[in-house]
Amino acid sequence: MKAFAAAVIAAIALGVLAMYALTSNQTFAYQAFATSGTRVSEPGINLVGPKWNGMPVVGEANDAAHGKAEGEASHPKRS
Amino acid sequence: MRRAVTLFSTLVLATTLLAAPGAFAPARAQNPITQDGQNPMGAKPTADSVNEEFLFKNADKITGRVSIPDRKSANLIQPQGREYRAFRESWLPWIGGLGILGMIAALAGFFLWRGRILTDDTQESGRKILRFNAFERFAHWMTATCFIILSLSGLNYIFGKRLLMPLIGPEAFGSLAQWAKYSHVYLAWPFMLGVVIMVAVWVKDNIPNRIDWAWIKAGGGFLGKGHPHAERFNAGQKGVFWMVAGFGAAMGVTGLMMLFPFTVLDINGMQVMQVIHALIGVAFIVGILAHIYIGTLGMKGAYDAMGSGEVDLAWARAHHDLWVEKQQAKTASGPQLTGRHPAPAE
Amino acid sequence: MARMKFLCDADRCIECNACVTACKNEHEVPWGINRRRVVTLNDGKPGERSVSMACMHCTDAPCAAVCPVNCFYTTADAVVLHSKDICIGCGYCFYACPFGAPQYPRVGNFGSRGKMDKCTYCSGGPEADFSVAEYEKYGSNRLAEGKLPLCAEMCSTKALLAGDGEMIAEIYKQRVVKRGYGSGAWGWKTAYRETVAI
Repeated sequence: MKAFAAAVIAAIALGVLAMYALTSNQTFAYQAFATSGTRVSEPGINLVGPKWNGMPVVGEANDAAHGKAEGEASHPKRS
Repeated sequence: MRRAVTLFSTLVLATTLLAAPGAFAPARAQNPITQDGQNPMGAKPTADSVNEEFLFKNADKITGRVSIPDRKSANLIQPQGREYRAFRESWLPWIGGLGILGMIAALAGFFLWRGRILTDDTQESGRKILRFNAFERFAHWMTATCFIILSLSGLNYIFGKRLLMPLIGPEAFGSLAQWAKYSHVYLAWPFMLGVVIMVAVWVKDNIPNRIDWAWIKAGGGFLGKGHPHAERFNAGQKGVFWMVAGFGAAMGVTGLMMLFPFTVLDINGMQVMQVIHALIGVAFIVGILAHIYIGTLGMKGAYDAMGSGEVDLAWARAHHDLWVEKQQAKTASGPQLTGRHPAPAE
Repeated sequence: MARMKFLCDADRCIECNACVTACKNEHEVPWGINRRRVVTLNDGKPGERSVSMACMHCTDAPCAAVCPVNCFYTTADAVVLHSKDICIGCGYCFYACPFGAPQYPRVGNFGSRGKMDKCTYCSGGPEADFSVAEYEKYGSNRLAEGKLPLCAEMCSTKALLAGDGEMIAEIYKQRVVKRGYGSGAWGWKTAYRETVAI
């Protein structure tokens, strides 16, 4: 029984270890398929940024020009 | 590009073939510039352009050049997914379902016919002999618990959407499948380690020899009365050992290929790896079902070997007589080995 | 309802990649993910042709068939969409897809490669039309606005056609008759089991 318990604990521990090892060595698509072109924002996120909520930016008009989208949620970047 | 010569000859053929219907307008060709919509040079770009049909005659997929540094995206059309799909959706559920249910039915039938395999009591009953030490049991159970999770999460890839999804709904099933996938990917590592340890520890007791042949011919104690001679592992156990070693290695290799997709293989290689992984996985589950049956319900006294590590001496004498003799010869203190470590795996 | 399809006229495509750029911009597609790409065949040789390729929204889509969590669905316009809430990122759809359409945000290993992303035919996802959640996960929903996919709308040579299959096939046929040549509807046989007779 002790061997069984130790085995389960070891399995979980190794699994967690594998998880950290694999997750930390993960390659992002933007790294793997990157070219030497111009970059206008942080990699890994899209141009509207992770906190984009579709609302027009209030006040900070000049802040993070590429981090926010303009217009309404339903009509992003449309002319 | 190495196929340029073949391609060129095909294109010459294409030219002649397309020239026939293309000759419908000799009048236009005489004065091409005045004809509206006609190529002013009178050329027929189709004559030397590539064509889907001819490209598929040269190769089984159409590959070109892309500006994206992603090798896979250079494949324009790769219809091999159809065979992969046919296997995964038409064959695999039947192979898996029939294999597993067939084995369960066979085991149930065997149980009804043969019942629990019992061992006759002798004067040695009640005394214990150490069969698997703590480390061996640890390696076994680490592999076993991982195997059960891996097989359930693996079967979930095949049967989850057919059986579980209608029961619990798509959202709940989606998150369950996500966790199943995580467990499959991460518990594969302790599983592979466990298989390696078990192979290292037990391989010397699992080399097939003449005794195994006699054991098989005698029906291994399943069919006939009484038990044939056996060393530490009988032929059936050796079979399980080599199955775990072989299938474990195959699952590990194919699994690693799938875990790091496209590092070594291309798209067709990935499809083949998936097919192999699934087929061997099903066979592995079927084999281990029999192993679980005979180790627990099927034979009285067998579970103790992996439970506490100590088996009844009478059971050991009946099933592994040659091994018991060897152990007793090793230890001068006789068969009462509890508390001592004969270290049978040495 | 219409049966939406893509058709790339390889005799017109000039590999300008405007469709790729338009798609990336319209949907704010993350880096490294290409919902649409332009593949050049016989590059640098006589008879070179470029084909713009994305999800073809197949009839009886193989991705939907092999998905272990059934996250795909087909809309009334025969557009193949998927739910990123259900997707587990297993990558089976990529193995089954004849066009290499499914994309994943992380490619290093299978364990945590993230949710699959692919062309939505500019019609969003299962979320409510024009919702923030829909835009963040799948990009904009032009179809619900009564517009066709931007890649085709943007195409400078009108090589890429999007719309009802019969209509775009008719347009292509007329072109071929008029100019006297055509190299066929690339991928149609694989995706729709029919092609445009030229």
